[in-house]
Amino acid sequence: MTYKGRSNCGELSLSDVGREVDLSGWVDALRDHGDVLFIHLRDRSGILQVVFSPGHTPPEICERAASLRNEFCISVTGRVAKRLMGTENPLIKTGEIEVLAVALSMISKSEPLPFPISEKAMVSGTGTKVGDLASEDLRLQYRYLDLRRPAMQDHLIKRHRINKCVRDFLDEQGFIEVETPMLTKSTPEGARDYLVPSRVHPKHFYALPQSPQLFKQLLMVSGFERYFQIVRCFRDEDLRPNRQPEFTQLDLEASFIDEEFIYELIEELVVQMFQIGGVTLPRPFPRMTYQEAIDTTGLDRPDLRFDLRFADATDIFKNTTYGIFKQILQRGGCIKGINVKGQSEKLSKNVLQNEYAKEIVPSFGGKGMTWMRVIGDQLESNIVQFFSKEEQLGVIERFQAENGDVLLMIADASYEVVTSVLGQLRLHLADRLNLIPLGEYRPLWVTHFPLFEPTEQGITSSHHPFTSPDQINFDPKNRKALLELRSRSYDLVVNGEELGGGSIRINDRRLQQKIFQALGISDREVEEKFGFFLRAFDYGPPPHGGIALGMDRVISMILGTSSIREVIAFPKNRSAYCPLTQAPSAVAREQLAELGLLDLGGTQSLPGTEEQSDPIGTLSWVSRIGIDDGERPFIAAALKEAVRLAGLVNEKAENEEPLFLPVNVINRTRKGSFAQTSPLAGNGELFKNAPLLKGNYFKVPSILE
Amino acid sequence: MISDIFFYMDSSPPLLAERGPLAGKTIAIQSNLSVHGWPTNAGSIALERFVALEDASIIERVKKAGAVIKGSTYMSELGLGLAGDTGASALTENWVDMVMMTDTMGEPRVSASTMGVYGFKPSYGIVSRYGLIGLIPSMEGIGILAKSPEEIASLMETIVGRDDRDFSMPECEMPNFSQVHTPRDTMATLGVVPECVKTLETDESEAFNEALSTIKKAHFKIREVHIADFDLFRTVHNVIGAVEASSSSGKYDGVRYGHRTASAKNWNEMYIKSRAESFGLLIKTYLFQGAYYQFENYNAFVNACRIRRRLKEEVNELYKNVDALVFPARRQNMNASKASTIGEVYDAFALTLLANVAGQPSVVIPKFIINGKTDLGLQLVGPWLNDAQLLSIAAGLAHYIEGVK
Repeated sequence: MTYKGRSNCGELSLSDVGREVDLSGWVDALRDHGDVLFIHLRDRSGILQVVFSPGHTPPEICERAASLRNEFCISVTGRVAKRLMGTENPLIKTGEIEVLAVALSMISKSEPLPFPISEKAMVSGTGTKVGDLASEDLRLQYRYLDLRRPAMQDHLIKRHRINKCVRDFLDEQGFIEVETPMLTKSTPEGARDYLVPSRVHPKHFYALPQSPQLFKQLLMVSGFERYFQIVRCFRDEDLRPNRQPEFTQLDLEASFIDEEFIYELIEELVVQMFQIGGVTLPRPFPRMTYQEAIDTTGLDRPDLRFDLRFADATDIFKNTTYGIFKQILQRGGCIKGINVKGQSEKLSKNVLQNEYAKEIVPSFGGKGMTWMRVIGDQLESNIVQFFSKEEQLGVIERFQAENGDVLLMIADASYEVVTSVLGQLRLHLADRLNLIPLGEYRPLWVTHFPLFEPTEQGITSSHHPFTSPDQINFDPKNRKALLELRSRSYDLVVNGEELGGGSIRINDRRLQQKIFQALGISDREVEEKFGFFLRAFDYGPPPHGGIALGMDRVISMILGTSSIREVIAFPKNRSAYCPLTQAPSAVAREQLAELGLLDLGGTQSLPGTEEQSDPIGTLSWVSRIGIDDGERPFIAAALKEAVRLAGLVNEKAENEEPLFLPVNVINRTRKGSFAQTSPLAGNGELFKNAPLLKGNYFKVPSILE
Repeated sequence: MISDIFFYMDSSPPLLAERGPLAGKTIAIQSNLSVHGWPTNAGSIALERFVALEDASIIERVKKAGAVIKGSTYMSELGLGLAGDTGASALTENWVDMVMMTDTMGEPRVSASTMGVYGFKPSYGIVSRYGLIGLIPSMEGIGILAKSPEEIASLMETIVGRDDRDFSMPECEMPNFSQVHTPRDTMATLGVVPECVKTLETDESEAFNEALSTIKKAHFKIREVHIADFDLFRTVHNVIGAVEASSSSGKYDGVRYGHRTASAKNWNEMYIKSRAESFGLLIKTYLFQGAYYQFENYNAFVNACRIRRRLKEEVNELYKNVDALVFPARRQNMNASKASTIGEVYDAFALTLLANVAGQPSVVIPKFIINGKTDLGLQLVGPWLNDAQLLSIAAGLAHYIEGVK
């Protein structure tokens, strides 16, 4: 068979009725009506019903068809026919037609499936099937089957379209795609590197790139002016549910530009990308400084789909006699609050006092919460009597409070605590009160991030040390002034999620020198880490800047998937493990020997090197029993004895059937035919012995940090 | 001091039963047997502050039979060995009439020989273990300490029998303990295993031989029988016991009950630290041995189970010619309560492990094998389910020895 004249299942329509077609694909579903067999034949283009019936199908073909099962790969020849009135299937695009089979060739069979693949019911009215019931690890283990599902195929096809849109658009704008190395040197992104040992340079390592930052800046020095790349990046970070050790970035950099160029370019690009998912983003994207974002939402990536912005009430209470506020203000603190419009019915006194003030706010790190309900034109709460008339009026005016509103205020000596607690509260309320409109997308530029962040010893770069500050006259030794510096940086945020970020870079060596000084990095250290990079800036570097978008996140948002793994063909699971290939895995000793890695750790043990491994450590881990140094020699002695006993039993055992119990016990089940809750669980007795409870649950630390 | 003996004493006034086969009898248990509302820590930090939520099945039975459970005594961690155990003292200092003590390696039997009382381990699977916090499920069961074989039989009569809540019990005809009181017409034949005697010191085996002549004087027959691999009982018990202990201790996770470490960053750290603090050194070394077989040498565990079958069948073969086997219960210089390593614990119980490995009943009679001033304990082991016959033989020997003295 040549498959030369093959038709695509999803592309046939009423206009093809009467044609004889050759189809190839997989059996998506079957319906056996005795003599007549219906199948859903699926290829990448879609699903089409094929009918095997003694009326039009030769008997030997009918017989062969009877052995078809789900996911057999087959070729069928037949005539396209219009379905009988009333038998159409609106669930599939080709639901008005079917193919009456005259020939069938079985290309390959399939084992029984680990989970159902078919997503389309064969009979209308029975609803769409849900294909996502299998556990994610099982789906990932059989990813090639999972990817047969039309939903998953659609994700990857859309991803391709989005990538193509990016390339076409940037090409039109004069950007060229340049590939940068994967085996490279550690870059200053701050996360841990994945290291790759070099065989020809024993004991030396490449690092997989956390981003092509240095190379793209070098390309600007080289005069490419506009560069982009859809590039894989690697970061060895702690596990998070929606994080992958390798991820794809749209990385771009341009010369002779300023922030406005980036905003214009990226807005247009992002609008086009979202269009592929049928989402229209409004332009221009609003902008907000970092300071405003923190001041009014408590987060540097505000979700603008709902309001609940903070108002500051510090000045209203500057002469207050209310003890708690007074103390806080004396210590230089502040008071901010949210007006939850018209929600006083849902936020009763009881909920506000017992849930929010006592449980939720403390869990966000706050010491307390002040709440007031607006009834008529009066404030009502458990402490309102401590406020003067003037203060009450001030509050009503500041929050534009009206009947039915609820005001929540956080007061603390620390501005960070106030904004952080109120920020979490803002998200919590929006979620609880269903204030987040579905299907709405609110993009936002957040700009002017602090250039530095404080550390215990001194300061560190918020982004990376090549980010340009918004002014060049500063004293690199004045810590306080340094922390007030802002950078020429920008983040793209949509619906409270950071989709990308970038900055205008430093292209002046003296300014760069000053930044390193401020960071307290010695000349020698600078030379060792970035010497090769900075040298390029001695040769006429142009002004430049750029941005990187996290493509997995962007695509996941455009397609509205539950996680980024849904838009990646072969992702790692939540534990950064690949159930399909079982990576990462141990390697052979010989491989490590060849790389000269066996003695790299000195006296410390290395993974995969059996001779130097620590058997006690391994057993301590697998049996989850910690030991201290004092116990170690005793355990070592007991294990030595265990090894000796093992040798003895292995020598003395013959071919007897193993005896696990000294008597014969017949397996039997508990009396009764249905599952019952133990009465001890029902009456809460089971909880009595628990070391720690939260509500009706055993409280434990989180599995992931 | 009573507080040195009892971990917990019931402070509620005893319901004095006038009727019932155990009416008026007092019993002590160990802190690993559940009585509703009692602290039940099985001698381990792993179960600190654990309070039993219901009565063990056999507690229900003895209460119904009219006995009073006085309290629970101190015990070794999770019942392995006799370190810190005060069960026998509760009996010898007359606080109670009987003690129920878990027999994992022979604890009540070795304890009986040390303290001059009778110790009994029933056949595997005839006494419910529902409500018993155990360590080595295929080896252990409830044992009894008492001052006469007849008292043991009266308690056995109450606690023996099927329990729907204990899934490890076989479906078999249960022994009838009401006949123990009747002296047997025919005198029994007892088997001596030279492979065991060989392991004794000269003075120990002389004392044992002397006991054998006393037995003959009491008109029992003695016959030599052989167990070629006698030394393997200990090896097999160690390998299988460690694996089962490691497996059954997996439940101590500090989540639902027991000890939880003060601070832990995440789930794994909570688990590792809580369990680090939960287990004493002896149990910990045992659990590491178990983990070694489970995770790195599972074949050794399977092979130990193969040998277990061979040993059991070998012993069963002997019962065609003898009614019971006779051994000393313990070695003179091996102090079970002072053993501090797994090796020393197994040394101390080397002579009682056979009954646990083979699941057979065993009884220890005091004052029979005296080496100088030390009572080594005369131990009988009989066929599975022949508990009543075994106790009858013990009663016969006991009457003889009491009569002689």
